[in-house]
Amino acid sequence: MISSSRRKAVEFVLDHLVWLLLAVVLIVFSLTVPNFAQAGIYANIIEQSTFVGVMAVGLAIVIIAGNMDLSVESVAALTAMATGILFCSHGIGLGYAFTPEWLVVPVSLVLSLAIGAIAGLINGFFTIRLKMNAFIVTLASYIWIRGLVVAVSGGRSAQDLAPPLRWLGIQTLLQVPLIAWIAIVVFVLFTFLLAKTPFGRHVMMIGGNQVATYRAGIKVDRLLMWTFVLAGAIAGLAGWLLAIRTSGATANLGTGMLFNAFAAVVIGGVSLKGGVGKLPGVYAGVLLLSSIHTAINLMGLPAHYTQVILGLLVLAAVLLDTVKHAIRQKFI
Amino acid sequence: MTADTPLLQLRDIRMRFGAIEALRGVSFDIRRGEVVALLGDNGAGKSTLVKIISGGLQATSGTMVFDGSERHFANPSEAKAAGIETVYQDLSLCTNVDVVANFFMGREIVKRYFGIPILQEAAMYEATERAISNAGTRIPSLRVNVEHLSGGQRQAIELNRFVHWGGKLVLLDEPFAALGVEQTRRGLEMIKNIAAQGIAVVVITHIMAQAFQVADRIVVVRQGAVVGDVQSADTSPDAIVQLITGEALPGQARNARVSNP
Repeated sequence: MISSSRRKAVEFVLDHLVWLLLAVVLIVFSLTVPNFAQAGIYANIIEQSTFVGVMAVGLAIVIIAGNMDLSVESVAALTAMATGILFCSHGIGLGYAFTPEWLVVPVSLVLSLAIGAIAGLINGFFTIRLKMNAFIVTLASYIWIRGLVVAVSGGRSAQDLAPPLRWLGIQTLLQVPLIAWIAIVVFVLFTFLLAKTPFGRHVMMIGGNQVATYRAGIKVDRLLMWTFVLAGAIAGLAGWLLAIRTSGATANLGTGMLFNAFAAVVIGGVSLKGGVGKLPGVYAGVLLLSSIHTAINLMGLPAHYTQVILGLLVLAAVLLDTVKHAIRQKFI
Repeated sequence: MTADTPLLQLRDIRMRFGAIEALRGVSFDIRRGEVVALLGDNGAGKSTLVKIISGGLQATSGTMVFDGSERHFANPSEAKAAGIETVYQDLSLCTNVDVVANFFMGREIVKRYFGIPILQEAAMYEATERAISNAGTRIPSLRVNVEHLSGGQRQAIELNRFVHWGGKLVLLDEPFAALGVEQTRRGLEMIKNIAAQGIAVVVITHIMAQAFQVADRIVVVRQGAVVGDVQSADTSPDAIVQLITGEALPGQARNARVSNP
């Protein structure tokens, strides 16, 4: 047994480890990497964090509830491609337009959210109704949804998104792009949802002890279904933002984001065992990864090394999860 | 004996799993404030019986009268809503959240702002604190995650939660299997406390000494039937062991059953 003040200190450090890491990394890079220390670079890090960040929110909710969703990247690619094909005027774009023109914004957004939600519903159906392993179900979705993207696009791309959407993509507020603010709003919204509503409380408790929540009369299956639908819809939003940012869509859009999101979620303090984690930490994890990416670019390392480093980071993140668990067992 | 009707009456409960008859006509009563120890060997039908009472299984035939009316619980939530709950060995707590969250699990106090339910932490904290201190349980902090609490404290939270939410009959499945000597002593005391508040308690245990320490009555199940239903003051551990194993003539306890309504 150790004193409760010491336990609180250890717990505080473990809970906020990612913020500490982020601060250290930012300071070290600012001091050592040439051209890192400037407002434009910091704004760029926040902008880069948009897509992985949004995706990570849904992924984190599913993992906190004790499941897994590997399909978020492919779902984002699908909604980006759907937006691209319907509302782009060149390439494979069909160029649908509305009067007034701005209607394309809500229509494409709602469509993207709906496509994502349906993908989540499919994942949820197999995982919850048919009691299949979430890892395998969503791995399958990861593959077939990406396959669908390649199939419907024929491997080609859509360019020149409708002007109102393009306009959204280049707006900035306080030097930070509007779409990055959307990501931040998503984080704030879902942080609130997880921390202050019965939904969030129940998701957390289901991740901790599903049997107990079932016995307590909580509608576990329905809530778990919601986590998948939310993760799908949020991934749909990420895809929509991706389409806006790139003013179109390619068949390989967003490739590799899943593992960035996954690494961010784990680095951010969400336990893969479920029931532990907070969204602000996940955002810090995303910022941390973006900082490292940016530093690698600035140092002029060949792009291939980025992937090596990313792989090692994912490994380190899972290792960190294990180490934190061991530290908790030992010191708390 | 008091004149009021028993809280729970089981009449000729039978349970079939295919060709196997797990329960072959079980009948017994439990009164308010009574502690009943349910004993029997592995496979005797104890857990089947407990699951039927708490809604986890539906009996093939037989009737169950609870609190004055005949009931058929389709699932544990219905039983729970009626005031019957099982406290399992593996504990029905979420150790990754604090005491307050566990106390209000599934019954959170919320206030709606623009239709969105928001958790009322302060109100839940106060209610938890009041309930826990009324029960005489000491827990260092209600904001600490349950994973940092001892087995005895966890059990206290569960039982206090049960009483607080209007429980009438609690089924305890091997409640002290994971507890130390001192914690077990406190646990037994807690059971007596709960019974004193008019709540009926069924304790399933393998440990004869505990059964005799805490129970007013001992019910023995063997091969799917009640073979003994005796006041614990009127019997001995040896007689109960014989009933459980069916080795000797159970005449002594059978007589006791007849004399006991």
